[in-house]
Order: sequence, then C-alpha cells, then structure tokens
Amino acid sequence: MGKILCVAEKPSIAKAVANHLAPAQAQDVRGLAWLKNYVFDYNFGRTWGASNVVFTSVAGHIKSTEFDQRYRSWNSCNPSQLFDAPIVNYVENDKKVIARNIEEQARSAQVLFIWTDCDREGEHIGTEIRDIALKINPRLEVKRAKFSNIERAHVISAAKNPVPLDEKQANAVAARIELDLRLGAAFTRMQTLALKPMIDRVQELKVISYGSCQFPTLGFVVDRYFRVKNFVPETFWYIKVTHKKEGISVNFNWKRGHLFDRMAVTVLFERCLMAKMAKVIKVQKKPTSKWKPLPLTTVELQKMGSRFLRMDSQRVMKIAEELYTKGWISYPRTETDQFDKGIDLKQIIEKQQQDGVWGPFAQGLMNGGFKQPRNGPHNDQAHPPIHPVNYVVGVQLNDEERRVYEFVVRRFLACCSEDAKGEATDIEISYGDEIFRTHGLIVLARNYLDVYPYDKWESSQQLPQFSVGETFVPTEAKMFDGETTAPGYLTEPELISLMDANGIGTDATMAEHIAKIKERTYVMTRLKGGGRNGGGDGNIEATSTGTRGARGGRGRGRGGRGGRGGGNSGSRQGGNRNGGVQEFIPTTLGVALIEGYDKVGFETSLSKPFLRKEMELQMKAICAGTTTRNDVVHQNLEKYREVFVRTTQQINVLKAVSLGQ
Amino acid sequence: MSASAALVRELTAYLTLKNLPPSSIWLQSFLPTVRASIPLPALQKTALFRLLASDITQSLERTRSLLFPADIHDAHIKERKLVGPIVCQVLDVEDIGRSRWSQVEALEAAERGEGTKGREVIRVIPSDEQGAGCDVEASAGPHKLLLQDAQGTRVYGMELQTIEGINVGMSIGTKLILKGVTVARGMVLLEPQSVNVLGGRIEQLHKEWKDTRKERLKVAAGITVERE
Repeated sequence: MGKILCVAEKPSIAKAVANHLAPAQAQDVRGLAWLKNYVFDYNFGRTWGASNVVFTSVAGHIKSTEFDQRYRSWNSCNPSQLFDAPIVNYVENDKKVIARNIEEQARSAQVLFIWTDCDREGEHIGTEIRDIALKINPRLEVKRAKFSNIERAHVISAAKNPVPLDEKQANAVAARIELDLRLGAAFTRMQTLALKPMIDRVQELKVISYGSCQFPTLGFVVDRYFRVKNFVPETFWYIKVTHKKEGISVNFNWKRGHLFDRMAVTVLFERCLMAKMAKVIKVQKKPTSKWKPLPLTTVELQKMGSRFLRMDSQRVMKIAEELYTKGWISYPRTETDQFDKGIDLKQIIEKQQQDGVWGPFAQGLMNGGFKQPRNGPHNDQAHPPIHPVNYVVGVQLNDEERRVYEFVVRRFLACCSEDAKGEATDIEISYGDEIFRTHGLIVLARNYLDVYPYDKWESSQQLPQFSVGETFVPTEAKMFDGETTAPGYLTEPELISLMDANGIGTDATMAEHIAKIKERTYVMTRLKGGGRNGGGDGNIEATSTGTRGARGGRGRGRGGRGGRGGGNSGSRQGGNRNGGVQEFIPTTLGVALIEGYDKVGFETSLSKPFLRKEMELQMKAICAGTTTRNDVVHQNLEKYREVFVRTTQQINVLKAVSLGQ
Repeated sequence: MSASAALVRELTAYLTLKNLPPSSIWLQSFLPTVRASIPLPALQKTALFRLLASDITQSLERTRSLLFPADIHDAHIKERKLVGPIVCQVLDVEDIGRSRWSQVEALEAAERGEGTKGREVIRVIPSDEQGAGCDVEASAGPHKLLLQDAQGTRVYGMELQTIEGINVGMSIGTKLILKGVTVARGMVLLEPQSVNVLGGRIEQLHKEWKDTRKERLKVAAGITVERE
C-alpha cells in the first residue's frame, strides 16, 4: 500500500475529516501539544486505491514575508526604500515544528493531498505546504480536495475526487501579501515618524498604522461623521388629506412628499381647498408578495448579525467558523447566493424536522411545501450559500452559537419556502392640482415569514371601498411643517454594505478591517441610541505592521482578542428595538488622518476606496489568468509610490491637521 | 427701399412670428456682425440663435401683449389665466423638492470628483465644463423659477408637473413662451401644455449663477458662510 499525506488548514478540520474517512489513531507530534497526526488506512477508489494515510494540519500560513534583515528596524532606512527593499519568505520559529512534521511525513509518501479551505488564502497555504514537501521529496504527486463543508458524505466525495492546486489563486494572494507588507510598512513608518511626536502629547500610541483597506474603511466612517456634524436642519411643508368613509378614517399622503418652499405649498394647498371636491382617479387591487430572502452569503450574515443577533461582524464570523468546524453548517465564507442544481436540499431540510421550534415548518416543506430557492446574482464558483449541514439540539450549543445556528437554519428554511402573499390596494385622488394617495395591504399567506421572524410584513388597516370617478369633499385637509433630521452615524451593517459595494476587502476580511480600525483607536463604537461601549479598547497591539496580514484572511494567530469579544457579546440586553446595532464615531486621531490625506490630494487620497478597489479587481484578474502577479505588484507600487512621494513632500499638511486636534 | 431695410423687415417678421419681436437697437447691433451674402434662411437661424443668447430686456420690443400684466404680483388674486403668449427668460431655478443642504452635499461630492451609484462611491470624470453638475442631479423637482419678461418684470413660477428642459442643470437665460398659464397669488403655475422651452442662455448670468450656487444654497439653508 502506498502512503498518502493529507494536510488540512487547521487541526479541527484534520480531526473531523480523518474521522469521517476511517477510525483514526491520533499520534502526538513532538514539540507542539495541539498538533496531531491521524493515522489510518483508507481506500481512495480508482484514484489511489487502498492506502496508508497520515492526516495532519498546519495552522494557517506557515511562512512569513518580511523585509530583509537590514530593513527591519525602523531607523534602518528611509521608509520610501521599502517600496523596493528585498523581501524574504521564511518559516517563523513557532511554525518550525509544523514544517518539520510535514517534511518528515512527506519523505516516505507517494502523494501529498492538500485539504486547506477552498478559497484564495487556502490555495496559497496549499502551495506553501507543497513547496515544503517537494523540497524533501520531489517525486510527490500533489493534489487538493475540493470541499465546502465537513459533512461526512461530502468529505468522502471530496476524498475520491481530488483536483489540482490552483496556482493562479495562490499568486493573487502572494501579490496581496507583498503589497500589504510594502505599503503597510512604508506608510506606517512614514506617518508614525512624522506624527507620533505630536500625538504623544495627547494619546500614547506605539504606532499609527496604515493599511490599504483600513484607511478607506476609516474614510467611510469619517465621511459620515462629517455629514452628521455639518448637517443643517431645514423646514419643509406638506399637505395631508384625511377622509372618513364607512367609519374608517383614511389618510391620503401627498404624492410630492414634502416641499422646501412655504409659498409654493401654501398656493398649492389653497388650490386644493378651492377645488372643494376630490376625485378618485385610481383604484388598484393587485396580488403582491414579499419575496423570500436569497440564499445566505457571508456579507449578508455579517449584516444580519449586527442587526438581529446582537453581535458584531467579527464575532458572528468567529461563531460561524466554529459551527462549521463542528460540522453543523457549511463553510461560512462565500459570496454565492444561488444553490447549485445538484445539491439535495430536501435532505438538508429533512434533518431539521426533529427540532421543537422550526421542526413542524421543516415537515411542512417536506410534505409538499418545498419551493426551489431564488437565485441571486453571485457565484464565487467555490462555495455554496451558507446552510445548515447537520441538525444539532440547542442545548449542545452555547448561547451565541445557538443564535447563529438558528439564524442559518431559519434563513435556509425560508429560502426553501414560498414568498409571502398578500393583496395590495392603491388609491389615488386628485384634489386641486395635486395628487394624494393611500396604500393598503392585506397579508393572505405568511408562508416563509412563519419561520423567518427577521422580516416584517404586516397587514395595514382595511380600506373602505372607493371607485374610480367617485368624488367627495375630504373630511380634513391640512398643511403641516416638519424639519429634516441629520443622518445617524455609520452603523456596522451600513459600513459592511459600503465596503462590499466599493470592493474594500473580501467577504473573508471585512470584519477584520473593521476590528482593526477599532483596535487602532481610529474609531469608537457605541450602541445606536445608547451609551458608550468602550470601543477604544485601550489595548493597542504592539506588533510592527511588517508581520501584519501574514494571513489577513482570518481571525487566527492573533493574540489578545478575547477581551473585546466578551465586551461585544450577548451579555447586553438591549431588547429587540435596537438589537445590537453599533454605530461608529471616529476619534480625533481618525479624523485627523483622513483629513490630512484628503488635504494632500483628493485625486488618489488613501481615504477613498478607488485605489484599493482597483487592486482588488486586479487580484481577481490574476485568478482569471488575465494578468500576472508581477504586473499587479509593479503597477500598484508605482501608483502608491506617487501618493507616498506627494505625502512626504506635503507632510506639513498632515502635521498641521494633527496638531489642530 | 435699401437692401438692409428689406433685411431688417424680413428678420423682424421672422422673429415676430416666433413671438420674439426684436428691438431696433438689437437689430442694429446684430446686422453688422453678419455678412449680407448669407442666404436669408441661414441668417434667420443665426438671428434666432443670437436672440436666444441675449438678454430680452435689451433685445426684444416691449410689445404689451407679450409681457406679464402690470399687476402680476397682486397676491389678492386667487387665480387668473393668462392667455399669452408671454415671452420670458429664466433668471434662477431652484429644486424645491430637495433640501438645500442635500444639494450642497451633492455639489461638494461632485467637486471632489465623486458620485454615488447606489451605495457605491464612483469617480466622476467631468467630461466638459458642465459635465458632472448635470447628471448628478436628475431630480423630480418640482422646480421654482424666477422669470423675467422683456420689460424687466420678475415673477416666480413653479412647475406643477415635470417639464422637459427645466432642472437645476438648465441654462440661466433660457427663454420660455407661456400660453394659457394660471397665476395664483402672484405665482405662475407651469405645466407642459402651457410652457414652450425655446432654449438659449445668457452666458454671463449663467456663469455667475453657477459659480455662486453653492453659496446661495448654503445661505438659504441657514448657514453663515465663511469665506474660503
């Protein structure tokens, strides 16, 4: 029998997958308590037949990217040199045991079978593993498993259908890592050296970090802050008509909404009164429906998390990842909002029938209520929408896990159900020169709403009978005034939507960037409508940006997160009105940085999403094979170098703004 | 009759037919700028174009029937109909369906070269002089106009229904012909069937209006404007 070395991206996946394939024996790896090799025999069918298997794992990226030793210290060089200083790839000390384990196991293997997560980062980690293994054993056959959840049947199918590693995706990640390192370090050192001495008087900071996603993210928060701060309330006027018929008082709203000119409204209002009679010009009854939600993507999960689950986006993702690792839900990082035709949705629904709360709804779907989910416009060609994989009883989960799992299940069942149906009535009347209208809704069948309390759709009051051509003297017509109100500070769901629409970060990294600007004390968060939430944290990470983003993708390998997580989690009892929606307010430092860069140059300000968005599109182009890693790195460095040069030339502008704080 | 007198007559007849009877002063300043060898139809077009680009308080004959009635501002009159046709030019246009502040915000975003497409912030490359200003502001209005007739009488008009060519991107000095409009409490109510937008622009007024629009909106919104 040949030997096959399988390597997963993290220990929990190695353990789960190994045990799906066969009863596995766990062997310790010397030097790392958590690292295990699972040993068993398995028949991979026609690919490799019966084999000895060693299933081990890494823990995210093995290799780090850093500047050559000469450039590492802050005083070693002018930050501008970091745009082309040589960089090295190496295995960090704490990863040496992992690398050695792969080398040892690869020596006697015929096949290296990679089980990293199926996304860009996973592909890159796969190439790191491959490079280490091939160095020791150049004759290895290298394959990877294509999987998106760790449900048993799915895993077995992945084991029997290996595919090649995708070098292009790995190259895209390599380009991102290099750009993050160079740009992050160059700008961070430059702005820290320039500004820190001034800011230290106010606030003690180790470093004033720059990141090409962080800054546009901060930019959105600052933009909104200024919109709130600069807002000027204005008076508007409007006309409202009320008519009582069949004992029902109906409010007709002005088609124009409201106008900002008193004279104009006064004249129009008088002409209504002069006309005396109103005339019904439209009565329309039509069936209407409220569409069931689209299959769940990561961005959507994060938004809903802040809105309904009382967790911030990073927390939701962490919990979702745990649920995935335990095999309860599918891979939670996906852009896809359409289910593949081949997937057996009923089999997934079936498993939910046993639940005490939504079980009966699932049964209803099994007994003929099932409808094919809607197809959204996105497909990342890697993962299906987030859906439950197996049933788990609530008591086996902690409170937060239960909320997220319940949401994923309810969302999925809603997708497989039917749109809510109702009857809408629209009535329009002309009165003077103006048109007024009212809208009625009767919900006839709640359908998916029964299992999906996150959507609201309720019947309005019953409208009396009106017919076209009918005239009447309205019971009351009045002119009112009102005032515009300032927009709110940016909330987390809004911020995520903005990042998504503007290509800042990927579904996998958005939550991280948001967490980063909190951690850097560029922004504070507080509960919308509530008090402060100590969002500043106080614990500023001391790492140099050089190692930052080594695995920008996920929340691993970052110490000291626990403290905040606790603060944001479910201990608060805000009730449902505000849920846990947090709003972001920039600190004076955050405002100063964005204002400073804006003043240096609008065109390509680092606070705007444009530069970063182009970079993200280029990553996709590398994956598609239309451009290369070298071209992308080169082009981006040139673009950012321009901004860098201009910023250093005008560094006094940046200083002046910070001094103003 | 001299050739030039004949030409004056031809042009006057042509423009008067279009309800734009030229003043003799304007004609006298117009004629020397064109060559007599140009065929008449082309000359007529040129004259019309120039007239639309002029200030009608200078360029039009003050024909009583083409002017607003003297008591147009009388706020005691609830309603009356003006048969017209009346010729006027637009001195100001305001979007009263949107708050001034939101218009200031949109202008400032355009100055930064930003527009929005849904939630997406997009970079707007100004194509020509007016470029950015125009398409950023497709609004339902209604718009309130300050109108002026050949005699210089100014009166407010308001769009009752959307009229093509009336928006905050329009040219100041645009000429309108009003037929059968209603005037209520001294305000002209404008509807598509009663308004004919002839076009045109008064270059200098337009530039001034555009350059000061943001400041005026700010003042109207109630902000004390600091000098930049």
